[in-house]
Formats: sequence, C-alpha cells, structure tokens
Amino acid sequence: MSEKMLAARFAEVVLPHLSDALSLARWLTGNQADAEDVVQEACLKAHAGIAGFAGGNSRAWLLTIVRNASYTWMARNRPRSVVAVGDLADLDDVSPPPDNDADSPEAVLISKANSAAVEAAITRLPQAFRETVVLRDINGLSYREIATMLGVPQGTVMSRLARARGLLMTELGGRHEPA
Amino acid sequence: MSPHENRPREDGLPQDPQDMKLMIHALVDGELDAAAALAVERRMAADPELAAEHARLVALRGALANVPRPAVSDDFLARIAAIAEVKDPEVAEATQAEDMRVEAQPSVPQQQQGQVIAMRPRAPRWFNSFDWRQMAASIALTAFLASGATQWLTTADNGADSFAVAVANGHRRSLLAATPVDIVSSDRHTVKPWLDGRIGVSPPAPDMAKDGYALLGGRVEVIGDRPMPALVYRHHEHLITLVAAPRQNEAKSVPVADDLSAGGFLLVHWTDDAFSYWAISDAERPALDDFVARFRAAIIANPAAGSPG
Repeated sequence: MSEKMLAARFAEVVLPHLSDALSLARWLTGNQADAEDVVQEACLKAHAGIAGFAGGNSRAWLLTIVRNASYTWMARNRPRSVVAVGDLADLDDVSPPPDNDADSPEAVLISKANSAAVEAAITRLPQAFRETVVLRDINGLSYREIATMLGVPQGTVMSRLARARGLLMTELGGRHEPA
Repeated sequence: MSPHENRPREDGLPQDPQDMKLMIHALVDGELDAAAALAVERRMAADPELAAEHARLVALRGALANVPRPAVSDDFLARIAAIAEVKDPEVAEATQAEDMRVEAQPSVPQQQQGQVIAMRPRAPRWFNSFDWRQMAASIALTAFLASGATQWLTTADNGADSFAVAVANGHRRSLLAATPVDIVSSDRHTVKPWLDGRIGVSPPAPDMAKDGYALLGGRVEVIGDRPMPALVYRHHEHLITLVAAPRQNEAKSVPVADDLSAGGFLLVHWTDDAFSYWAISDAERPALDDFVARFRAAIIANPAAGSPG
C-alpha cells in the first residue's frame, strides 16, 4: 500500500473515532490532558498497523489500541496506581449491590443524578468494572466486541457489566447513604 | 417428569435470580434476539423485582448518556491527522538528523524549531486531502451522542460484506455529489412512481419528518450489476441512505438488524417482507438504530406504503 493510500485509510478509519478514543482514555487514565497524550500514542500505533486492519468495526479496533496504550502509559508514568487488570480474585471482594428495596422511586433518583455525580461514581468503580461499563455505556460497543477486546468470555463481560452497573445504581440511587 | 413439571423452564431462561438479572441487562443492551427478548419481557411482567431492575437500568443508561464527552480540539485533530501525512523523504531525513542533534545538545534554539516542525507539520495541506466536512460532521456527532442504543448480537456473514462496501461507496459518492438524490421530494407519491418508472421497483417510502427523519428523495444505486432503489433521509446534519434490494427467493431472512460497518460508516441490515434493507449513515449507532426502528414501525402502521410497487 502506498503512503498516500495509508494516509487516506487513516483518515477514514481513525479520525472519525477520536472523540470515543479520548473518552475511553480519559476514563482509564483519569484525566483529560493525559488522555490526549495516550490517544496520540495510540494513533501512532494505529498508523503503523493500519495496513493490517482487516476491515470490520474500525471503532472497536481503535479502542483496543487505545486501551493497550492507556495501560502501557500508566505502567510507565504512574506505576503505583496501576491495578492488576483481570485479577478476578480482587473483583470478588467487591460485594454485589443488595437486591431488596427495588422500588421505582430509586429509578427516578438515578435518572435525576447530575452528570458530576455520575462521573464521580464512574471514577470510583474498580478498574475492570469501570472499563467494561465505559466501553458499553459510553463508547457503545457490543458484548462481543468488549469480550474480544478484553480477551475474556462474553459471560465475564456480562457479569462485570452487571456488577459495575449495580454499584453505580446503588450510589446514584441514594442507598449508600445510611438513613 | 411430566411436561407440567417442566413448565417454568419452558421459556429457556435461567432460573437463578442473579443470572436472570444478566438477561435484563442483555435486554436493555439490545443483545437478545426477538424470542429471548419477548421471554424476558414476559418474566418481567410477572415479577415486580425484575421490572424494578429494568427501570433502574433504563434510568442509569439515561444518566450515563448525559455524561459530557471530551471535545476534540482542532489543535488535537490537526496533530493526529499530521501522523498520517505523506512525508517528503528529504524533510523526514532532515527531521531525523535534527532529532539526533537535539539529543546531543538540547539547548540550541535552532534545533527546537526543528522539533516544532516535526510535531505539527503542514496541517493545512492535510485538510485538502479528503472531505473535511464529512469528517467534521461525524466527529461532531460522535462527540454529541453517547451510547446506549441497541446493538444486535448477530454474526455478519461474509457474503454480505462486499455488498455492504458497495452500499458504503454509494453513500460516500452521494455525499460528495452536488445533490445526494436524483428526485427531490418528501412525498412518497412522487418518489415511488419515479423509482417505478426508472427501474420498475420501489420500496416503501414513509415520510418520518415528525420523528426527525425527513425524506429528502430517492436515487438509483447500481450495486453489482443491478440497479436498486435508494431513499435518502435527513436526520439533523446527517444523511441516511436506505438501499432496498428486492428480496431474492434464496436469500435468507434476516429478521433483526445486523451490526456492520464499511468504509468508516455504520450499516444496519435487515429483511422485511419483499425487501432486504441496508441503512447506512455517518450518524452514530443510536441514531441509526432509532431510524431503523421507526422505519419498520412506519411500514407496519401503514402497509399501503409498504407494497413493493
């Protein structure tokens, strides 16, 4: 492939998804300025590998590179904050939300939560839960795409998603405040 | 065991309450096929606990959709676009030499200039190299819409891929052309006869302006060696092209939309009665899925518009 064709392909495959890329990197690294650095690095890698992109969902392809770049970046720049990704034993310590008290007023509370509260709640999620819920609910990937990206079975994606959302719902629904 | 003892398991859904919750999540995420979705909805109707979980999930999805998305600044966009710039070999070599000298003597100002050039080369030239407006529109919408729409858990078959690419190329050409339609009309009574007259086939063409999808008109697409009717709808700043291929007898039925992309566009593919439909747009998936749902509903509501012409 000529350099010109590669450039055209880059413009077509990578550029339309920059907002998604920034959003994922921001949630993984925790701040906007770092996200831009990470996405720039990821785009360099994407450009280097663009000839090997076989078609299909270009957004999922780019986001996979962004995710890897985020963790590489964090390991290099903030080694202390990196949690072991995919360590399921850690995740089991996070208790699932209580099942009782399922009333609709809570749904009303959740839907009324302002975006600052929602952002704070997402930030507080354990890393593996956070990335799953961000990939699904903010970046809009399918279960299959997330499973491929994280290298875990689809069932694991489903259960992480349910746990992540459970924690978010508990927090936003006001049940975490002792009466 | 008698069939009656088996009854609770008949809908094929898990008995475990925790697993059943996963099914509710899958329903909200649009990951269930029609039969499973129906079964889950029945269970929900009978179980207030499950219904409440569903309500909380829908509320949470709404709350997450309102989380602001990071904006892509022009500066950042230019920086990323510059990555793919076709480099003049001499300049590239010179830049490399500069970089090496910078490492040796980091304080000489001339070399810093070399750095600046390396970081942000010739952004204006890049803007001319492809359709800037189209990309800007797709980025703006990506930034504007958060996720949350349905994505269907179906496998895209490979035979459909080349067709999808052809549909994508047609859509791209229409965006570049002076006008995306051959016949401009929001009235299906004009568009359908025009298509009928040209190629002897016309798909349902409901006007969904009240839903935010205005019918702009129609055009003829040639895919493979066959002319096919295409409808063009406008949704905010985005065009949605709907190609309707008359359904072949041997073509397998695709009851739910397929999740595809081609040429940087998103596609949704489904089959209804007489036609196989391909909807393509640079809009985000939630908008496209919403369009598909409304289009299908409009056909069911008004079968007269849905006759294959």
